[in-house]
Amino acid sequence: MREKSVEDIVLEIKDKSELMVDLAYSSLIYDNNTIAEEVYDLEDLIDELYQNIQKQTLELVDDQKLEVRDALAILRLAELGETIADAAQEIADVVLRDVELHPILKMSIRESDQVFTRVQVDEKSILAGKTLGEIKLASETGMMVIAMRHGKRWLYGPNKNTKIDPGDILFAKGPEDGEKHLIDLASGKTKNL
Amino acid sequence: MVEEKRKGIFGRLQRTPKWEKEEFTEIEYEPTSVKELLTEMKDISELIIDLAYSAVLFDNKEIAEEVQYLDVRMDKLNYDIRMMAMMAARTKEDAEQLAGILQVAEAAESISNTAGDIVKLLSRKETGPILPKILKQADEQLFRIKVSSSSKACKQKINDLRIESETGMRIIAIRRGDCWIYNPQSDTSIQANDWLIARGTDEGFKELSKFLQGEMEVLD
Repeated sequence: MREKSVEDIVLEIKDKSELMVDLAYSSLIYDNNTIAEEVYDLEDLIDELYQNIQKQTLELVDDQKLEVRDALAILRLAELGETIADAAQEIADVVLRDVELHPILKMSIRESDQVFTRVQVDEKSILAGKTLGEIKLASETGMMVIAMRHGKRWLYGPNKNTKIDPGDILFAKGPEDGEKHLIDLASGKTKNL
Repeated sequence: MVEEKRKGIFGRLQRTPKWEKEEFTEIEYEPTSVKELLTEMKDISELIIDLAYSAVLFDNKEIAEEVQYLDVRMDKLNYDIRMMAMMAARTKEDAEQLAGILQVAEAAESISNTAGDIVKLLSRKETGPILPKILKQADEQLFRIKVSSSSKACKQKINDLRIESETGMRIIAIRRGDCWIYNPQSDTSIQANDWLIARGTDEGFKELSKFLQGEMEVLD
């Protein structure tokens, strides 16, 4: 397998850190320890990526394949992504603590511009058995799936090849009118996209 | 009152910069509900990251200034929420629960500080054009689209067009002449010649561009 380029790594840090913020806020809404723990795992992954990118970038400069100013720009962007990941972890930490969440936390996050929602996919639903790429959920409903639960297994930040099975629980974020559309699709009430 | 203030920040046509003034006004404590404060902080923490990356991607100073403004506003919100929380605590149990709220607020503030640092990458001469090149390769991208006068979107409200739920494209800012609207609200209308900055997938972008350029009558 080709080694990931520094460009790939910095983008991965950016994407993962944004996913972590989404997951952290949704762990608050659902008071969900599993999602909060995933934020912790992702933080470890980002730390690892950050160390890799530091090493690789310096090696590229050493081999004169990368200019110093480009290397600096890449490392700074990676570092800032890592800081965002830390902030997401701080939010998840509140969920994992042994203190009941203040009801205001849930309320204030639910009332914001973008809603988080959780739906179970019925076997009658047209989503069942399809991949996220086939149904183009994000461009059809505006709802972006950030995590999925398949039985006892969890999947975070699914991609277009991820298949939805009946019974799966989707955690998604998007606009309010998209939420209703997604609920109707998942329950089988809406038959076509 | 609070509602008016929130609308004052988002979805309003405005000129940048205005953050310098905000930074130097003395912070005055205003009683607001903790819930209102936290909702606004969460909204800003999400919007500000997208704005910061757009500023770098499009090498745009005005968006960068808005990021700095929001970052300063976040400091004030964080100060207010601390005051409110301290006054609300009566017992140890109260204090424990309120500490959780303050930790989330602190994290949102730290995200906005980071966004402020991201836009600083713009002003440094030593960081060349590599960052826009990298950001263009992201899965979920930021795009700029111009609204043609022949598009059916003109003079329509964002809510009525259902842009986000039809295309998955989330509009984070609108440029109208030399003014900007950040985080447009559901009742914000779109005008001919507006430039929209939106976040989403390639597919959503293609569909929305066709609609905004008048090549497609309706979104569905």
